[in-house]
Amino acid sequence: MAYKYYKDNRAFIEACVKTGDAVVINEEVDWDLEMGAIVRRTCEKKGPAVLFKNIKDYPGFECVGAPIATYRRLAIAFGLDPDTPIPEISKEYLRRTTGKSYPPKVITNAPCQEVILQGDDANILNLPAPMVHDGDGGRYIGTWQFVVAKDLDTPFINWGMYRQMAFDEKTMAGPVLPFSDMGKMWHNKYQPKNIPMPFAVVVNPDPLSAIASCAPAQIAEDEFTSQLMGEPVEIVKCVTCDLYVPAHAEIIIEGVLVPNVTIDEAPFGEYTGYRTSPREPRTAYYVKAITMRKQPIMAMSNMGVPTDEGQLLRSFSLGLEMDKMLRDQGIPITGVHMLPESTHHLTVVGVKPAYPNIATQIGQLVFGSKLGPWFHMVVVVDEKTNIYDKDELIHALCTKCHPVNGIRVEPFGVGTPLNPFATPAERRLGVAGKVIFDCTFPLDWEASDIPIKVSFDNVYPKDIQEKVLAKWKTYGFKE
Amino acid sequence: MAEWDTYINVNFKDMPEEIEQVTVIRDLTPGKYKYRSTYAKIIVSKDPEKYPEKVWVRLGRGQLIPTPCSMKILEFVNIIPKGL
Repeated sequence: MAYKYYKDNRAFIEACVKTGDAVVINEEVDWDLEMGAIVRRTCEKKGPAVLFKNIKDYPGFECVGAPIATYRRLAIAFGLDPDTPIPEISKEYLRRTTGKSYPPKVITNAPCQEVILQGDDANILNLPAPMVHDGDGGRYIGTWQFVVAKDLDTPFINWGMYRQMAFDEKTMAGPVLPFSDMGKMWHNKYQPKNIPMPFAVVVNPDPLSAIASCAPAQIAEDEFTSQLMGEPVEIVKCVTCDLYVPAHAEIIIEGVLVPNVTIDEAPFGEYTGYRTSPREPRTAYYVKAITMRKQPIMAMSNMGVPTDEGQLLRSFSLGLEMDKMLRDQGIPITGVHMLPESTHHLTVVGVKPAYPNIATQIGQLVFGSKLGPWFHMVVVVDEKTNIYDKDELIHALCTKCHPVNGIRVEPFGVGTPLNPFATPAERRLGVAGKVIFDCTFPLDWEASDIPIKVSFDNVYPKDIQEKVLAKWKTYGFKE
Repeated sequence: MAEWDTYINVNFKDMPEEIEQVTVIRDLTPGKYKYRSTYAKIIVSKDPEKYPEKVWVRLGRGQLIPTPCSMKILEFVNIIPKGL
């Protein structure tokens, strides 16, 4: 049965406008920094998404910024009430992604191919790619998009968000990290054989396809999207290659990754809130075709200090995929929550401490998984701590984690070159230190030795609590 | 005189001058092609008057050097193979 969802980002943004979660700007705005500054500010204020209707130099194009940078808009993307609390959105994600899966449905006459441009007409400088931040190495065409690629010798396909800078009319550049799914295809298979790898960039996809492309799922992203939708996602064959793309996306850029050629890319304001990586030679994409809808809508995610959709969605899905993995391993967790404000570097795991060193086991499992390179802090709390409450988390961290015995450091984990704290050598090698904070009291302590948490819920008899709660407003309190 | 910018991954004081080098320069002419990048063989000088083209220099993480330099473009270089 299909869940409530939006087939394209147009319908999603329209829904966000209705709930006050998106604003429409009809005044002309400049793609050169002005759009970026507006989107950055709304992200930092946790404000609404923005639909730019009138872009300087680009009549006929629109652009949406910060499409899913809040939990409210994430709830809307799932067809839920925007006020749905985070744990309920998480439950919905887990319910859908552990349910029935469907292969995608191939259609023809797709909206994303209403306009087809090839040869010299396939010119990416004719798309309103924004200059997102002052000082960036170029205009970024790919900040809210994903790249579709297919493995060389297996049926495996990947939809992944890999940023892409417009270099010239026909060329883009961007990092393809070796531990990423596309990185494994490219660096291990195509490039050593000097074979150009076909790609399709899906700019401004529907919200659930975008969420799937951010998620470290165990199944192909088209199937995963279908799970989120509750019915097959509609896809269409590209015009220049055998890849398939979501039919209702706004703009598709087709071409090939160029083997053994690199192009200088970056710097770029990244999800960590810093411009960490310098300008460096990175993967080159050669453009062969652009297909799009009539009156196409570009999209922009403005990465920087929290909160943007990269941080929010990556945190959301990384945490919940960890939740699934830990439960599959039989660990008695009560939940996993990754804080977007940590730029998906810190994850909180609630657990019923069933045996000594369970926190270490949890940390080792998640750091050792395919998810591990993206974060480096795991905080393990007991089952009584609300993992979604930052106040409770800080309290647990500062009171239950022993500053010597409770902190376990692994100096040689796999990391990304984007970690602002990493040394230049660590960035080059993709190494990152990892740390586990054990915020559970040791199991071998006598019951009489365990400190008692002094809170309303914990140190008053039930009847007193009920009496106080029942009379709370009559005492004169508002809430 | 056209206006360009370029990035260097060294400190400004160590920027190579008066030698031929292949690097990326970006066209800063306003309009749809602003920031179009190209590889080019150039000679650069910190003296803003020495060569015909004005070029602004940015460090590896985007920091702009506040005074422009000048450069001579010897040739544009295409690094993408034909026939893809």
